[in-house]
Amino acid sequence: MKNITSKKDNIADRGTLERKRFGFIKNQNFFLIIIIIAISIITSFINPNFLTYRNISNILQQVSVLGIATMCMGLLMLAGQLDLSIGAMMGLVGVVFVKMVKAGISVELSVLAVLAIAAFCGFVNGIIVAKSNVMPLIITLGMLYVYYGLALYISDGRPNALGDYFRFLGQSKIGPEGFAIPFTVIVFLLIFLFAFAMNKYTKYGRRLNAIGGNRLTAYLAGINVDMHIISLYVLVGLIMGLAGLVLTSRLGNVRAGSGDGYELKALAAAIIGGITFEGGRGSLVGAFFGVILLGLIYNAMNVIGVSSYFQTMVLGVIIVITTVISSLGKRESSF
Amino acid sequence: MSNIKNVEVKNLNKSFTGVRALVDFSFDLYKGEVHCLIGENGAGKSTFIKILSGAITPDSGIINIGKKKYNRLFPAITKNEGIEAVHQEGTLVPQITVAENIFLGSEKSEKMFVSYRRLFRDAAEFMESLNINIRPDEFYENLSLPDQQFVKILRALIFDPRVLILDEPTAVFNINDIKIVTKLVKKISKKGVSVIYISHHLEEIAEVADRVTVLRDGRKVKAHNFKEESIDLNLLANEMIGRPVELFYKKKKHKVGDVIFEVRGLKLNPKSKEINFKVREGEILGLAGLKGSGRTKIARAIFGVDKKYQGKIFYKGKEITPNSPGEALEEGLCMMTENKQIDGLCMNASVVKNITLAGLDRFKGPIINLKEEARLAKKFVDQLGIKTPTLNQEVINLSGGNKQKVVLAKWLFRGINILIVDEPTHGIDVNSKIEIYEILTDLVSKGKSIIMVSSEMPELIAMSDNVIVIKDYEISSVLSESRITEENILLGFMGGGSR
Repeated sequence: MKNITSKKDNIADRGTLERKRFGFIKNQNFFLIIIIIAISIITSFINPNFLTYRNISNILQQVSVLGIATMCMGLLMLAGQLDLSIGAMMGLVGVVFVKMVKAGISVELSVLAVLAIAAFCGFVNGIIVAKSNVMPLIITLGMLYVYYGLALYISDGRPNALGDYFRFLGQSKIGPEGFAIPFTVIVFLLIFLFAFAMNKYTKYGRRLNAIGGNRLTAYLAGINVDMHIISLYVLVGLIMGLAGLVLTSRLGNVRAGSGDGYELKALAAAIIGGITFEGGRGSLVGAFFGVILLGLIYNAMNVIGVSSYFQTMVLGVIIVITTVISSLGKRESSF
Repeated sequence: MSNIKNVEVKNLNKSFTGVRALVDFSFDLYKGEVHCLIGENGAGKSTFIKILSGAITPDSGIINIGKKKYNRLFPAITKNEGIEAVHQEGTLVPQITVAENIFLGSEKSEKMFVSYRRLFRDAAEFMESLNINIRPDEFYENLSLPDQQFVKILRALIFDPRVLILDEPTAVFNINDIKIVTKLVKKISKKGVSVIYISHHLEEIAEVADRVTVLRDGRKVKAHNFKEESIDLNLLANEMIGRPVELFYKKKKHKVGDVIFEVRGLKLNPKSKEINFKVREGEILGLAGLKGSGRTKIARAIFGVDKKYQGKIFYKGKEITPNSPGEALEEGLCMMTENKQIDGLCMNASVVKNITLAGLDRFKGPIINLKEEARLAKKFVDQLGIKTPTLNQEVINLSGGNKQKVVLAKWLFRGINILIVDEPTHGIDVNSKIEIYEILTDLVSKGKSIIMVSSEMPELIAMSDNVIVIKDYEISSVLSESRITEENILLGFMGGGSR
């Protein structure tokens, strides 16, 4: 592969014409913002209530747990990793938390305990992934069932109501009447900023991205690859523990399967946001827009009155279309 | 070589967004000749062969193939006309056997099922007729890089081409294997196939070429016919670069200090003899040996990438024996590995991120100051003359030579005490080569030391203060100063001591 540096050679030696032509699409964030704006305009014509403060804050609240999960998935994918067990972790965290609180243990202690459990789940995932040569997809698929089964066992397969405890995290709002921001949205935005800053500005984030880009290069550059991977899974476990608490608090009750499907939706949002499976490419800002777009589309369909069964199908179509379009921009000539 | 022209190209022009990649390029190819194309990266060779294989459309010009005239070609036409190209990048299927790859898409079977016995037999016969010895039932992915290259060439030959295009077929080869390729090419051309041969190795060109066309900046500089004139490699190099150049780099002499680095009792396996050697301050120690002799494994073991059976490594008298690259780097022991394209770079990351990757600890605390990072990286980009439009360019878009320089910049940014380089100039053009030599020379003149693994004789001879020749994971001879000659190194390869 001979790709040359001066402008001349760069173009001459590579089928970069295609790249140029679809250059604007290559900027996935730009592409996503355009779609977001387009959907907003169209929907607000059909239903003027769409672009109200109330509805927008509603959308953000609806996506906040998914948003947190997507940030985790984004960080993992940028490091060439994946965790399918994050949804099951949320269910496990919720079930254990409710059991503890009902057993009379203080809320503070229960929070700390379940966060520790979630971090430990992440640690287990991380150490198996890092020390074995098996794809994270397979390991964490297995761990999904382990955590889900454990949650089923603890909850005896029954839903548990949270009661009056712990409404603050998932149901309170902050700010003046009429313009209050749901607390869950604040948690989501803080997690987003944290993940974004960590990824872009810290050595740790840079090294994780290098591992995602080329694991061998990272190792040869003196990076302790295993340690970085394990710690990332622990961090993801911790954040998903928090997400599990937010979800439990918002729903007011919990069952083992409360977090079902979040892992795949988070994956979808990250991919829509331009993060690739190969790792090392994409950004969390893109993933953020991916989450917003998903939430917007769901909400728009509700506002317009599309059946919820049909909505699921639309989600699938969107994943396929966005990824196909963004791959057009990356396509090179067959040489 | 006969007088029938298989291909004649007249006044070919091709521009990419205003940049002229080929300018009034004319070229012809007789039946049964080997016509070499030489030129630096970006000179227009690739553009030309892409036009000839139908991948891109020329802006103007005429392409005559046999008796037919074309304004442009399509892959289907070139196939029909019997033009086959072997590109550098792999296009074969790794998970299936050699024989299946060779006959892929042209399996000779009337029945629904492929007869493997017949497939293997046909492949074996075919290879035998060309003196190539590869097991037809071996899986492609298990082959060495040279063997994979042979399979690619065989696959092209199956179609009985009139014209065979070989784009740097020997980029992954060492000297011995290059000989096999050049022999094979001559054999093919004797059968009446016209070969367009592209390579950076001028010695190899001298061996196979009937004619040579030199390209520079998209233009034909000169065409030589070696039936009529003798081959002058220096002249060819000058024409390629456009200015006089020394083929054999002359290293500036400088003072070599005391012993600073030492390898004691290194064994990669229990049976081999212990390897002991010392490196002095400001010294370049050449590590010669054939592919498979263990020279690369020894270098990797010193850096802590590969496991060793036993052995200790000392820096400034203190034992440092690293068990991982991370530990080696702590002592400023850096290594530029053999497959720089594969394991030296994060291809999708920017130039800056690649340069600073190994030296992020130069920033205090957990945060990277991005402005400061760009400023520091810029210094190395300027110092090494890395040609890139911006610092944020993804390295995948750089040329081979510039990629190599980014890898070097990464270690320079990290800070080097001892640098191990494995094939520092493999696969890059003459100009970049010399720039790399200058960087290495500059390093040793500042008192750093280099262990240089290389299979290029001129490089070993020009750059090394001392040379250790490796055979079968053992030191077979140690050469210094005037005893560093091609003959003595070759003797070392065979296992004999030097004279």
